[in-house]
Amino acid sequence: MSSKAELQVDEKLVREIASLARLDLNQEEAEMFVSQFKDILDYVSILNEVDTENVPPAYLSSVNKSAMREDTIQDSVSTEEFLSNAPQSKDDYVVIPRVHMEQ
Amino acid sequence: MDAHELSIQQAHELLLSRKISSEELTGAYLARIQQLDAQINSYVTVSEELAKKQARDADQRLKRGEGITPLTGIPYSAKDSLSTRSVRTTCSSKILENYKPFYDCTAIQKLNSAGTVLLGKTNMDEFGMGSSTENSGFFTTRNPWDFDHVPGGSSGGSAAAVAAGLGLFSLGEDTGGSVRMPASFCGVTGLKTTYGRVSRYGLIPLVSSFDTIGPMARSVYDVALVLEAIAGHDPKDSTSRVEPIQQYSRALKKTENLRGLRIGIPREYFVEGLDPEVDSSLRTAIQQIESLGAEIVEVSLPHTQYAIPVYYLILFAEASSNLAKYDGVRYGLSERDVNSVLDLYLKTRESGFGAETKRRIMLGTFALSAGYYDAYYLKAQKVRTLIRQDFQKAFETCDALITPVAPTTAFKIGEKITNPLDMYLSDVHVVAVNLAGIPALSVPCGISKGLPIGMQVMGPHLSEETLLRIGHMYQRQTHWHTKHPPVWGDSP
Repeated sequence: MSSKAELQVDEKLVREIASLARLDLNQEEAEMFVSQFKDILDYVSILNEVDTENVPPAYLSSVNKSAMREDTIQDSVSTEEFLSNAPQSKDDYVVIPRVHMEQ
Repeated sequence: MDAHELSIQQAHELLLSRKISSEELTGAYLARIQQLDAQINSYVTVSEELAKKQARDADQRLKRGEGITPLTGIPYSAKDSLSTRSVRTTCSSKILENYKPFYDCTAIQKLNSAGTVLLGKTNMDEFGMGSSTENSGFFTTRNPWDFDHVPGGSSGGSAAAVAAGLGLFSLGEDTGGSVRMPASFCGVTGLKTTYGRVSRYGLIPLVSSFDTIGPMARSVYDVALVLEAIAGHDPKDSTSRVEPIQQYSRALKKTENLRGLRIGIPREYFVEGLDPEVDSSLRTAIQQIESLGAEIVEVSLPHTQYAIPVYYLILFAEASSNLAKYDGVRYGLSERDVNSVLDLYLKTRESGFGAETKRRIMLGTFALSAGYYDAYYLKAQKVRTLIRQDFQKAFETCDALITPVAPTTAFKIGEKITNPLDMYLSDVHVVAVNLAGIPALSVPCGISKGLPIGMQVMGPHLSEETLLRIGHMYQRQTHWHTKHPPVWGDSP
């Protein structure tokens, strides 16, 4: 865990993370997160006390081996059903705003 | 006896003998929801038309005498993170406010095959992120015992609905106490199942390696009946367990005492911060369990104090990944007054997610980002191994462990919502179970100042039958699970 001296939790860091997370924070939220992040990251630094040398990480919760199944054709949902929740669709496609702008 | 006072077994007997129809039973519950839920706010959506149709179908089955199960014709609710075909499934988030899945999750599908009746979908903290339902994107559910208090979370709507008699049982979902804590706060019985015992297919994920679906009802026996119906392997969930399910309710009927069971009391769960009345209720309950024949021993789970930081770091990371898909493209909220795709993502997520959800997405994105991954996420996963080993060691000598579910009774609405860290700490007794993937039962064991207290019984993987036996024998000796909140007596 990084030492507190190394990690500077400020609005710049919060804005960088927000950009990675695709969140467009308003000023009030950004300021609130700066102070709350400090508290929370400070609290979780208690894990520094624990010696984890030679301890393997516990990624998998499942006891199952990789599950395999026969590759058989099964019924699936119709395009119509799938698109029933789409905010906008046209000719069996989902419509999104322009990706490339015209000059 | 009013319809809402029946147990599942009593309702089943009345349905079988045709003294009541499922249509009448369902009608009584719908009327009660209509009359009382404006005060409690336990339901996000009431699926009245579907319920009436399912009730008529159940009555047909009962009439023909074919395919009848103990749950045929029984009205229930489900947490709003369980996908229900053509019934709005919101996770109590504005980003999914109008989302209607085109399929049922496996647990609901199994209940449909058993002939149950879905009354509606219950309120929760947004995507399961919270311990009070105050983080719902729509409204806060009130504790039926005292409307100034929270029902717990995140399955707070499910617990409140069961406690107030607005459904015979509910399907909750437990990521870090979300079945057990609200069950405790609302005085109902709730089971967090072994990871993989109930299929997660169609459960909208919060933390894929913690999430479990579990029943909430008014007695251990009723919980056992529901578990029998929803458990089992599912080819659509690669993490679901292949071991055969047991006849839980039959095992309960055969249980006469708890002789031969050794039950551990982890000393780290009875420390400073535990409300004195919670402590004394637990001590009394443990004595009663001892008098039923169980041997009680003290044990240690030395890494207990690290469970909260480990749990939250892993949650932040997995949740931020799981919530990346809400982008306004294929379903859900979509802010279309935008100039680009990036703008669509930013504006949709900004207006669709609540503050706690954003906070956790941000913390998870941070914990997984370059330069910090080893220090936070990897470290947490290593300490998780140590917490699992604590339990493995305890279960070498014990069949089960007993602890409080929460350090206090239900806190007041507004008390912790402004301080996220304080809210996280209220999960101190429940999250380790999810880190280890083991099952745990929450059973009412006392009342303090008008609010229920809960006892947690934990066991090794797939020990549901043992936990249910302990809870069932306890409920045969005590009356706490038969106590009801003041709204109970209100009839339509």
